[in-house]
Amino acid sequence: MGNKQTIFTDEQLDAYQVSLFVRLSSRLHGRYHELAPHLVPMDYTNEPDCKLPLALIVNMPELKENPFRNRIVESFSEDGQGNLSFNEFVDMFSVLSEMAPRELKAIYAFKIYDFNVDNYLCKEDLEKTLNKLTKEELTPEEVELVCEKAIEEADLDGDNKLSFADFENMISRAPDFLSTFHIRI
Amino acid sequence: MEEQKSVNFMRLLSEESTQSTVSSDSCEYYQMEIFDLLPSVQASRPEPSRSVEQGGAESQARLGHGPLSQGPRDKASTQPLRNLALCMQGKRAARDMRKMQISSIGFWKSWRQSQSTNMKRLWEQMGSAVAGLLPWRHTLHRIEGRFGVGVKAYFVFLRYLVFLNLLHCALTAGFILGPTLVYGRGNDSKPLTFESNDSVLDFFLGSGYLDRSPVFFGYYTRGSLDQKCLNTPLLYFIGILTILFLSLIMVVRRTTVGYKHTQMLGKRYSTNLCYKILCGWDFTIQDPAGAVLKQSFIRNDLRLFLEEQSFSLREAQRTLGQKVRLCLLRLALNLMVLSLLGGAFYFIYFSTEISLHEDGHHWLLSLFLQYLPPMTITFVNLVLPHIFRKISSFEDYSVTTQVNVTLVRSIFLKLASLGIYLFFILTNTKNEQHHCRENQFGREMYKLCIFNFLATFSSVFLLNFPRKLVQEWYPSSAVARRLGKQHFLIPFNVLDLVYGQTVSWVGVYYCPLLPLIGTVTLVATFYIKKFSVLRCCVAEHRMFRASSSSVFFHFMLLLGLLLAGVTLGFNLRQQEDRNTSPCGPFPGDQTVLKVTETCVGSLPSMVQTILRYLASEAFALPLILAEIIILTSYVSRGRANQKAIDRLKDMLVMSSSDKVFLVRQHATLLRGQRKRQRVAQDAPVLQQRDASS
Repeated sequence: MGNKQTIFTDEQLDAYQVSLFVRLSSRLHGRYHELAPHLVPMDYTNEPDCKLPLALIVNMPELKENPFRNRIVESFSEDGQGNLSFNEFVDMFSVLSEMAPRELKAIYAFKIYDFNVDNYLCKEDLEKTLNKLTKEELTPEEVELVCEKAIEEADLDGDNKLSFADFENMISRAPDFLSTFHIRI
Repeated sequence: MEEQKSVNFMRLLSEESTQSTVSSDSCEYYQMEIFDLLPSVQASRPEPSRSVEQGGAESQARLGHGPLSQGPRDKASTQPLRNLALCMQGKRAARDMRKMQISSIGFWKSWRQSQSTNMKRLWEQMGSAVAGLLPWRHTLHRIEGRFGVGVKAYFVFLRYLVFLNLLHCALTAGFILGPTLVYGRGNDSKPLTFESNDSVLDFFLGSGYLDRSPVFFGYYTRGSLDQKCLNTPLLYFIGILTILFLSLIMVVRRTTVGYKHTQMLGKRYSTNLCYKILCGWDFTIQDPAGAVLKQSFIRNDLRLFLEEQSFSLREAQRTLGQKVRLCLLRLALNLMVLSLLGGAFYFIYFSTEISLHEDGHHWLLSLFLQYLPPMTITFVNLVLPHIFRKISSFEDYSVTTQVNVTLVRSIFLKLASLGIYLFFILTNTKNEQHHCRENQFGREMYKLCIFNFLATFSSVFLLNFPRKLVQEWYPSSAVARRLGKQHFLIPFNVLDLVYGQTVSWVGVYYCPLLPLIGTVTLVATFYIKKFSVLRCCVAEHRMFRASSSSVFFHFMLLLGLLLAGVTLGFNLRQQEDRNTSPCGPFPGDQTVLKVTETCVGSLPSMVQTILRYLASEAFALPLILAEIIILTSYVSRGRANQKAIDRLKDMLVMSSSDKVFLVRQHATLLRGQRKRQRVAQDAPVLQQRDASS
C-alpha cells in the first residue's frame, strides 16, 4: 500500500501525532479500511465524513472476545450509537493503548460501565456488568448480593450509586488496572 | 383541564436500562429540576464535542470544567493534548488555541516544553525497548492464555531468579575468580590436573577432582596480590558479602513494592468485590479459550466469595459447645502436625549421621549413602505437605484459610528441615587436622543443589508425563479415573524454587560457583516445567490469591536469605573459635576477622576510629533507639491519617444526605407554589363556568 503521504497530509499527521498515544501508521488506517473496503476511502486528505457501523467494528479480533465490546464502541462514538469515524476509531485505540495515563483510562472505563448513561454506576449497571462478565452463570440472587456488597464497599457519599469520584478512588488503589485495561493493535 | 408536568425528565434512558423499583425513591431525587443546576452535577456532565468548536476564551473556560478535562483551568491548558478526554476535533481545537498561546509565551518556555515532551518520548521508547529484551515473553504469554495469571506468576518468578543468579555469577567472576586467575594462587598450591583416583562420580559427590577445582572454597588461596587492604582473601569475603547484601536489597524492595500494592486495596483485599467486577476483565485477551478461562476464573472467584459469606454466617451461628469441641479438635490436629514435623526432623538427623559416618563401601552404596540426607529432605518435603492439606480439611476453616494454613505449615517444614540439616552438619564434631571443613560443607550444599535438580527432572519425566500418557491412552481405565487430571500446584512449585535459591545462598561462601550451577539448573527447570505445564497439566479454574501473590513469593525468599545469613554468621563464629582450618583463603590463624583487622589497621587513623566506632555497641544501641522512635512516629502518623479519613468519609455522607434533603424540600416548595399558581389561574375560569352553568 502507498505510504502515509497519500492518505494524510503532513499537517494532519502532525495533528494526530500530538493527540494520540498510538503511532498513526498506514497499518492503522489499513485496519480501518479493511473493515469496509467499499465504504472507507483511501484518501483522507480532504477529511471525508465516513462512519462505520457498530456491527463491523465489534467483529475486529481485538474486540471480539471482549464482553464489553458494544459498550466500548458506543462510548467512543459521538452519537452514542456506536458508529465510529476514523478519528473516533484512532481515539479509541489511543486511549486503550499502553501509553495512555490512568486518569484518561478511568474516565473512559467509567463511561463503558455506565450502561444507562446517567453518569452514575447504579446497581443495575453493576448487575449488567456482572452478567456480561460471568455469562449469566450466577443465579439472580447471587448477582444481587454481590452487587449490593460491591456498592457498599465503594460508595463513599452514601447515595447507593457510584459517582465518578467513587470509581476513581477505587481505581487509584488498583495496581494492575493499567495493564488490564489495554488493547494492543 | 390540562395537567402541567411539574418535573422534566432531563435524561434520555436507552433501551438497555431498566427502571428499578428499589431505588425509585432516589430516582425521584435525581429527576428534580434543581438537581441539574447543582454545581457538582454540572461539573460531571459529559462535554458535548460541538461546544468545543466555539473558539476563543469561552471554550478555554469550558475546557476548564470538570473531571473530563481534569480539574482547574490551568491544569487543562498545560496538560499534554493526548491526556484530554475529548474527541479528535476537540483536541485539534485545543491545539490551535495553544498555538495561539505559544506565541505569547515566549521562546524559552516553549523550548522547555518541547524538550520535556521529547524526553518523555525518549523514556517511553527506552522502556518499551527494555521490556522487549526480556526473554521468554512469547512462552509466558502462551501460558497466561491457557492457564491464567497465577501460573504465569510462577514462571515470572523463575525468570527473576535466573537474573538474580546471573548477577551473582557476575559478582563472583569479578571479586573471586578474577583476582585468582590474574594474580594466581599461593606458592604451595598444586595445579589442577586429573589424578589417578578421579572418576565421573566426583561430579556427583563433589570430591576428588572437583574438590581441588575452583568450585569449592579450598581452591582459593592468597596469591600474589598481597597488600594490606587489597588481597584475594579480603576480596573473596567482600564478594560474598556483596552478593548477600545485594540480594537482600533487591528482595526487600520487591517485597515492599508488592506489599504496598496489596495494602492499597484495603485490608480485605480478597473480598474487594467492586474491584473484581470493574477491573476483573483483562482487555488484552483475544483468543476464545483464554476468554472462557478468564470468565471461569471470575465466576469461581465470586463463588468463593459467596462461599466465604455463607461460611462466616455458619461460623457466627456456632454454639458454645461446638466452639469448645472445635478448639480441642484443632489443638489435637496441631499436635499431630508438630509430631509429624518432629518425626521428619529426627529422620533427617538419622540420615545425616549415617551419611557423615559412612566409609569404605562399594561405590554405588557409598553414592547412595552420601545422597541419603538430600533424599530424605526431598521425600519429607514431598509427602508431608499433602498430609497437611488433608489435616487442614478437618479443621473446619473457610477455604482460603485452609489453603493459607497448609501453605504456612509447608513453608515452615521446608525451611526448618533445611535449617535442621545445616545445624547437624555444623555441630558435627568430626574434626580431623588436615580435613577441610569448609569444603565438606560446600560439598553438602552442592549435593543438595544437584539432587534438587534431579528430583525436579525425574518428577516431571517419571511421574507427571507417564500419568498424562496413561490418561491419554487408557482414559477409561480404573487407574486413570483414580488419578484424575493433573493441575499445576503453584505454591508447592514456588516453595521448591525458594528452597533451591536458599541452598544457593547458604552455600555460596563455601562453593563460589554455586550461582553458576544455579543459573544452569534454573534455565533447565524453566524448560522442564514448561513442558510439564503445557503438555501434562490442565488449567485449574480456582485461584487462591495468596498462592499466586508475588509478595508471598518474595517474602519466602526473604526468609531463605535470613536463614543463609544466620548460617554464615554462625559458621564464621565457629571458625573464630576453632582457628585450625587448613584450606582456602583463611587458613590457620588468618581468619576473616584477622584479615579485616589488618586491613582496617592499615587505613589512616581517622578512618580507623570511625570504623571502630561504627562497629561498637556505643553506635548500635543509639541506632536501634533512633529506629524505634522513627517507626513509632510513622505508625502514629498513619493512625492519625486513618482517623482523619474516617472523619472525612462521615462528613461526605452527611453532606450528601443534606443535599438530598434540601433538594427534596425545594422541589416540594416549588410544587406547592405551582399548584397555588394554577389554582389562582383556574379560579377565574371556574368562576366563569359556574356563572355560565
